[in-house]
Amino acid sequence: MKIISVAFKNLRRKKIRTGLTIGGVAIAVAVLVSLMGFDAGYQKSLTNDIDKMGYQVLVTAKGCPYEAATLMLKGGGGLRYMEQEVYDKITKDPRIEKITPQLAATEFDKDRQNGQGGIILYMGVSDSYRELKPWSKFKSGKWFSGEDADEVIIGYEAAELEQRSAGDQIFIPNLNKTLKVVGIFERTGTQDDGIVFMPLKTAQRIFDLPGKLSGIGIKLKNIGQMSDFEESLYNEPGIQVISMAQVKGTIFNLVSSSRAMTNSIAFIAILIAVIGVINTILMSVFERTKEIGVMKAIGASRLDIFRIIWLETTLICILGGVLGDIIAILGTSIVEQIIRKVLPYAPVGKLVIITPSLLLGSFIGAVVMGLAAGIYPAYRASSMRPVEAIRSGE
Amino acid sequence: MRKLLLSTLLFCGIYLNVFAAVGCSLDDPDRDVKRIFPSSSGYLTKLVTLKELGGAPLLDQIEEKLGDKLDPVYEDLDVPYAYYVVLKGKEPIGYIHGINQKGKFGVLQIVVATDPEEKIIALYYQRISSPEASKFRSAAFTGQFKGLTLPDFYKYNLADNKLSGWAVTKITDSSSNSPEDFRATLRGIKKDLILLDYFLHGQKNGGVKK
Repeated sequence: MKIISVAFKNLRRKKIRTGLTIGGVAIAVAVLVSLMGFDAGYQKSLTNDIDKMGYQVLVTAKGCPYEAATLMLKGGGGLRYMEQEVYDKITKDPRIEKITPQLAATEFDKDRQNGQGGIILYMGVSDSYRELKPWSKFKSGKWFSGEDADEVIIGYEAAELEQRSAGDQIFIPNLNKTLKVVGIFERTGTQDDGIVFMPLKTAQRIFDLPGKLSGIGIKLKNIGQMSDFEESLYNEPGIQVISMAQVKGTIFNLVSSSRAMTNSIAFIAILIAVIGVINTILMSVFERTKEIGVMKAIGASRLDIFRIIWLETTLICILGGVLGDIIAILGTSIVEQIIRKVLPYAPVGKLVIITPSLLLGSFIGAVVMGLAAGIYPAYRASSMRPVEAIRSGE
Repeated sequence: MRKLLLSTLLFCGIYLNVFAAVGCSLDDPDRDVKRIFPSSSGYLTKLVTLKELGGAPLLDQIEEKLGDKLDPVYEDLDVPYAYYVVLKGKEPIGYIHGINQKGKFGVLQIVVATDPEEKIIALYYQRISSPEASKFRSAAFTGQFKGLTLPDFYKYNLADNKLSGWAVTKITDSSSNSPEDFRATLRGIKKDLILLDYFLHGQKNGGVKK
């Protein structure tokens, strides 16, 4: 207890230096926690996004991803479409539990995105869409009255943006077409929140794409048959098969690469903090050479001196660890906003997840760091010979 | 690999960026303020919610002055409003305030600019979804509102859509088949001016019938 109070007193002597050193440790810990929280949050959000698509396999027309890239980069351009016969053929496969055809179409709206213009995504779907997404509930209204009805169901955010309610109308400017809003979906936290849904046949009619589809979502009875199923579709002309598991794996591989980079940054931050702590404590030891000599001369053992200095270092890291955790918690929303600005196509949901175990882990890490960083200064201090220390300190 | 990445981007990200947050701030304040007030030297952006300004009692006052109920979802106490105090040097030379108003086919974003006496000097649709959008956006239509003030709009009864007295009787609906959007426009402008009055003068003195 006495040693702790002595260590505290020593740290308080140089308040600014101690404060800055604690600040350095805190920043390193906060960076570490934020990066690891981002890593966990991003993976969870992405998994959630992909899982909530409801299907394990997506069949699209060949070339579709490239068209999609154009769509994203230029805010326009058309998707590539396949014939509905593909769906009719695939749907007979006994391995399929659920299957849904989709027709995505986009329209450019010059008023969107703060006047810069943006795309509105319309999705033609059939009744089977709901079977694949049983979690899609209605906030108000109901499903389409018919397969070819001039009706739409709007995702939560799209409805909010346009202030639409069930019973209202929407207007598609470029097609000069008016449709009735029959339902609003509850918020799902996925891309569906921004989509305007309509019956598949209606979409094929009004976008002048008769018998065309942009995608087919498939859920298998047995996920173990995935490889065989994919293999069987590879020979179909004009289409490509995208397994969601594969997509997830690819993204996670990319995330792993970026994780190595972020971990390196965190490691460098910690290394700088450790060097800062060692430097501060060493300076403190050198400044107190005479004092340490006197302490030894009046009976303090090598172990006593070692413990005092070691404790000082550990205290700095403990305080830095606590402060770093607090900064990380308070800064979560800021970090999230920055990430969303830098990564406009980030998945929805919480991107930075800071769990108690992460905070505890980082705190323990800071303590271990303090223990390690304190060994050398403590050893230097405890190794001083009393007479030489008193003489050199004069 | 590339296909997978692009597919993932499509299905995970593309839809997310097409809809921005709800609110009616200016698309490009620097550009828009300078366009409406060429002599301005700067502007202040003020953000306020009705909850901060006066809460439920204020909401009741606004509904009474508006002569219509506010939408419980899209016009509630938490909706953030942005208005701009346009400056020339240190002196305010006008105000700009935009509101979201539910239209027949989608939201109408109506931006109203006033002089320091809160008289309309410019008005435009930042966003309008309507088959007759071009007619509503035309200078012939929006120009009719120049010079009007909040007291003028108090003579317009939203409940029975009667235009009594004054100037609103002179405002003609440029559209052929969108009387709903015409009425929505009048309601939007009236709401815009009432709110602006409250923002500038507070709950006690704002929105007063002059």
